[in-house]
Amino acid sequence: MIGLGLRLAVAGGREAAARLVVVAAAVALGTGLLLATLAGINATKTQNLRYAWLNTGIAEYTTTPRAGVDPAWWLIRGDRFRGQELGRIDVAATGPAAPVPAGIPALPGPGEFYASPALHDLLRTVPADELGDRFPGREVGVIGDAALPSPDSLLVVVGQSPETLATQPFAQQVTAVLTTDPAGCMRCIIGLDNTMFTVSLSVIAAALIFPVLIFIGTATRLSAARREQRFAAMRLVGATPRQITVLATVESTVAAVAGTLLGFGVFFAARPGLAEIPFTGATFFPSDLVLTAVNVAAVAVGIPLGAAVAARLALRRVRISPLGVTRRATPKPPRAWRLIPLVAGVAELAYFVGRRPETTDGQTAAYLIGAVLMLAGLVLAGPWLTMRVARLVADRAQRPAALIAGRRLADDPMAAFRAVSGLVVALFVMTAASGAITSFVAERARPAGDSVAATSLTQAFWPERLAEGAEPPTVADIPAGLSAVPGVQAVLTVRENDRQVAQNMADPSGPGLISCADLARAPGFGSCPPGAQVVSVWQDLIGPRDPGVTPAETIWPASTVTDLDSRRLLSVVVQTDGSDAAKERVRTLLATMDPFGEPPASDAEHQASSTLTLVQFQRLADVVILASLPIAGCSLAVSVIAGLTDRKRPFSVLRLTGVRIRMLRSVVGLETAVPLLVVAAVAIGAGLLAASLFLRAQLDYPLHGLGAGYYAMVGGGLVASLGIIAATLPLLRRITGPETARNE
Amino acid sequence: MIEARDVKLSFGETPALRGATLAVAEGEILAVMGPSGSGKSTLLHCLAGILVPDAGEVQFAGQRIDTLDEGARSALRRDRFGFVFQFGQLVPELTAVENVALPLLLAGTKRRAAVAEASAWFDRLDLDGLQQRRSGELSGGQAQRVALARGLVSRPKVLFADEPTGSLDSLTGEHVMDLLVSSAREQGTTVVVVTHEARVAAYADREVIVRDGKVTTAVLT
Amino acid sequence: MSVPLTLLGLLEREPSHGYDLKRDYDAFFGRGKPLPFGQVYATLARLARDGKVVIAVEPGDGPERKRYVITETGASEVNAWLVEPLEPEPHLQTVLFAKVVLALMLNRPAEEYLDTQRRAHLARMRELTEVKRGGNLVDALLADHGLFHLEADLRWIDTTVARLDALAKAVAR
Repeated sequence: MIGLGLRLAVAGGREAAARLVVVAAAVALGTGLLLATLAGINATKTQNLRYAWLNTGIAEYTTTPRAGVDPAWWLIRGDRFRGQELGRIDVAATGPAAPVPAGIPALPGPGEFYASPALHDLLRTVPADELGDRFPGREVGVIGDAALPSPDSLLVVVGQSPETLATQPFAQQVTAVLTTDPAGCMRCIIGLDNTMFTVSLSVIAAALIFPVLIFIGTATRLSAARREQRFAAMRLVGATPRQITVLATVESTVAAVAGTLLGFGVFFAARPGLAEIPFTGATFFPSDLVLTAVNVAAVAVGIPLGAAVAARLALRRVRISPLGVTRRATPKPPRAWRLIPLVAGVAELAYFVGRRPETTDGQTAAYLIGAVLMLAGLVLAGPWLTMRVARLVADRAQRPAALIAGRRLADDPMAAFRAVSGLVVALFVMTAASGAITSFVAERARPAGDSVAATSLTQAFWPERLAEGAEPPTVADIPAGLSAVPGVQAVLTVRENDRQVAQNMADPSGPGLISCADLARAPGFGSCPPGAQVVSVWQDLIGPRDPGVTPAETIWPASTVTDLDSRRLLSVVVQTDGSDAAKERVRTLLATMDPFGEPPASDAEHQASSTLTLVQFQRLADVVILASLPIAGCSLAVSVIAGLTDRKRPFSVLRLTGVRIRMLRSVVGLETAVPLLVVAAVAIGAGLLAASLFLRAQLDYPLHGLGAGYYAMVGGGLVASLGIIAATLPLLRRITGPETARNE
Repeated sequence: MIEARDVKLSFGETPALRGATLAVAEGEILAVMGPSGSGKSTLLHCLAGILVPDAGEVQFAGQRIDTLDEGARSALRRDRFGFVFQFGQLVPELTAVENVALPLLLAGTKRRAAVAEASAWFDRLDLDGLQQRRSGELSGGQAQRVALARGLVSRPKVLFADEPTGSLDSLTGEHVMDLLVSSAREQGTTVVVVTHEARVAAYADREVIVRDGKVTTAVLT
Repeated sequence: MSVPLTLLGLLEREPSHGYDLKRDYDAFFGRGKPLPFGQVYATLARLARDGKVVIAVEPGDGPERKRYVITETGASEVNAWLVEPLEPEPHLQTVLFAKVVLALMLNRPAEEYLDTQRRAHLARMRELTEVKRGGNLVDALLADHGLFHLEADLRWIDTTVARLDALAKAVAR
C-alpha cells in the first residue's frame, strides 16, 4: 500500500505532480522560516555570550582578588560615531599575570590600542580629527571575532598606565574576564535580555508559521476533486477506507519530506543574507546562525509528521465512498456571536482608560488579556465580516462579476477568510506595535534632525566623575580650535548652579547656570524671561521637556546668582550645523577636556539609546509583515487556482458565449481582493484601536499618525500580495480555453 | 445567415477540418451529424467565431467573421449568438434565474429588469418554481432547460447547441429539443445543433454529415 | 430480397454460367437458404425474355454450355436499383446489405448510396417527429416505434459506413 502510495505521489499525472510541487514548496518555505527562527534564537544566545566580557567589572566575581592574578584596571564607556555606538575599554595591567579578554593576545600597554575590524576600517578611511584622535597611541592589532558581538561592532581596547586609571572613580580592578551569559548575571547592563528575545522570536516564529501552515493546508486542496475521484475509484475496486488514508498520508508525507529537505537548502542559501538583518540591533556572524542537532532532528522529523497528520485531518472533510465523494454539507453561515470576543477585547481595553492598574503585573495582565482577546476575536470574527461584506456586494451588485464573486464569498466565507487569516494576525500585531511604539517614541519627543537636540553636543564635567585630586576643567581648557571647526555655530559654557538646586529633583530649575547674553547667541536653546541676567538651565541647555515644546520655545527660570564667572564649569555645549563631520570633529575635540569622562553626546543620541529596544521590536514587526504578506498572497493564489479549477467548465462556457476574459478576471480579482482588503482594513483598524486604548490607559498619550515607513510597508506588502494573485490570472485564460468546453 | 466556405483547421499536426463548406439559411434549424472525432464540434466553433480557421472563410449575415479580432468576435458571440452545451454550463454560485439573467447583466441591463426578464423564461420552459435553485439542486433536464433559457434570453440571431441532450435520457432529451425548437421558431432564431443522435437531428429542418473534416453533401446524380 | 436484380447485379461483374451465379449468390446472399437451381434458371430465362441478359452458347456438351451476358437494359436497371433508396421501413437490412456488397463488388460509390439512404431515413424520421410533436399520445407512441426502428437502421448504416473498407476487402475476389 505504501509502495503504491509512493508511486501515485511521484507518477500520478500532471495534477498530482503540480500538487506535490506546491505542497513541497510551501513546506520548504515553512521549514526555511522555522530553521531561520531557530538559528536566530541560537545566534541571539551566542551573540549574548559575545557581549559577556563587556560586563567585566560589573559582575562581582570579576573583581574579587585572586591569588596569582595581577589585577588590571578596567574602565568601560560608551562613545559614539556617526550614530553608531562605539564601546571603549581603557585598561592597564598591574603585572604580567593580568587577565586578558578573548580576542586579543595581551592587554595593550600605554600608548597602544586594539580596534575591532569595523573600527579598524573606519580608522583607515575617516580623517583622524573625526575619530582617530580619540585614541592615544597606535593600533597594535585587531580584536578577534571571539570578543565581537557582531561583525559590525565598533570596539576599542585602549592601553593606559595603571597610575592614570587608578585615579579614575569609575575604573575598577578586575581579576577575571566575565564569560557567562549576561542574561544569567543579575547586575549585567550590557547585552540582551535573552529571555525577552527568545519570547519575542517565538512569537514571531508563530506569527510567521501560522500563515505558512495555512498555505500548506490550502495547497493540499489543489485539484482535490480529481484526487478524491481517484480515491473513490480505488474504493470501488475494493480498497478499504484505511488503505485510502494510508495512500493520502503517504502522498502528503512524500511532499513534506521533499519540502523539508528543500527547506534546509533554503535556509542555508538564505543564511548569509539573514545574518545581515540586525534582528537584535546588531548583525550576526553567519557562523553564529547555526542549528543544534536537536533543532535539526526536531524539524526533520516533526514537519513530515505534521504533514501526515494534516493529511489525515483534511481527508476527514470528505467521505469517500465507492460511488464517489460526498462532500460534508455546505458549511453553516457564521453567526454574529463570533464578534463577541473582539468586542469584549475592545471593551476590556477601554475600561482601563483612566483606571490604570496600580502594579506592573496588573497592567501587563490587563493589556495582554485585552490584546489576546482582540487578536483571537479578529480571527474568529473574520469569516462573519467576510460574509457580511460579501452579501452586501452580492445584493448591491449590478455587474455580473461582483454578483458571482459576492455569492461565492458569501457561500463559503470560512475558506475565503482562511487564506488571509495569517495576514490578519500579522497586520494586527504589527499595527498595534507600530502604533504604540511610534506614539511612544514621538511623545518622548524624539528631536527633529535639525533641532539643537540633534545638532548640539554636550560635554559635562560632573564633580563625582572627576579623578581624585584633579583640577576640574575650566573655560581656559576649552580647546582653542573648537570655534574654528567648520560647521560649529556656537560654543556655550554652563556654570554650576547651587548644589542644593542641582540635587533637588523636584525643582524644575536645572543644575546649571548661563548668562542671558550667552544664551542670546544661540536662540535654538530657548530664551530668558524679560529682565533676567542669569537663568537656571540644564547642562545640555535642553533638559526634560514637555511634549510638543521645542527647545527653542523654552523660557528658562531666572536665577539670582551674580558670581557666574567665578563658578565651576559644569558643561560645554557646542551647537553645530548637524553635519556628521562637524559633530564627530567636535566630539573628538571636546573629549580632550576630560579624557576619562563620559564622552560628549547629543540629546538625540541619548534618546536613541533608550528607545533602541523599541525600535528593534518595530523592526521585528516589520520582518513579520514583510514575510507574512507574500505568504498570505501565496495562499490566496493557491485558493484562486482551486476556485478556478472548480469552475473550469462554467467559466469556459461563459467565455465561449462571448464573455470577455476581463469579466472573469474581475470575478477572480474580487473574490481575492475583497477578503484581502476587508481583512487588512479591519486588522489595521483594530490594531490602531488597541494601540490607542493602550496609550490612553497606560501613558495618557494620544495616538500619533504612523510613519510613512509603516504605510510603505503595508502598502508594499498588499501590492506584493495582489501581484501574486495577478500572476495566477494568465492561468484563467489557459484553463478556460475552448478545448475545456468540448463535450468529452 | 451563416456560411462556411472551404474551412480548414488543424490542432497541431491533427487536421480537424479539411475544407468544410456549409450554409445555413435564416430561421433554419440545421443538424450537424457525424461520428466522434469527425470535426463537427470544431465546425460549430468555427461557425460561432470561437475558433478561427487556418484557411477558408466564415460569414455571418454577409459579413466575414473569421477576419475579426478576438474582441469583435467575443462581442458578436455575446450580442448575436446564444449557446447551449452538453453539461456544466451554469455558474454554481448563482441561482437558476441569475444564471439566465447573466447575458442580460453582461449587456448592461439593470439587475432587477434582467431578473424579471429571465423569470419569464421559467414559465415558458416548464421551470416554474425553480428560479432560486442553485445548479447543484437541479436535475440534468432542468439544468439543461435553464441553460437553454440562458442561450435564448438575449434573443440571439443564431443559437448554437453542441450535443444539448448528450447527457440526458431520450425522453428528457426530447423534451429539451422540443422546447428548443419551439422557442427558436417562435423567435425566428436560426439554430445549429451538433448531435450524433438521429432522433435529435430529426427535430431539425435539415441535416448535414461531417466525416473526416468535410461536410458530406451526398447528392447522387 | 430481389433475386432477379441481385442475379443481374452479379452478372454485371462479368458474364457467368448459371452454376457460378448460384454459387456466388449462395456465398454472399443465401446465408443458409441456398437458391434452388430451378429458380436460378427460371429467373435467368425470364431475364433473357425481357432482354436484360443474352445467352452466349459455347461449343461442347453439358448444362454449362450457356453463359449469360448482361445487356444495356439490364445494366441500367441494376444501376437504377442501386441508386434508388429503399422505402424506409423496418427489416430492410438484407436488401440494403445486398446493395452495399454489390456496389462494392462493382466499384460503385457504396458510401454515397448509404448516405442517400440515411437522408431518406432522416426525412422519414423528421416526418414522424412532426407527427409526434403535433399529435396525441397514441400517434406519438406509434411514431416513436417507427423512429426507433429507423434509428436502428441508421446505426447500422453508420456502422457499415465506418467499415466499408474492410467489407470491400472481404468481398473482393
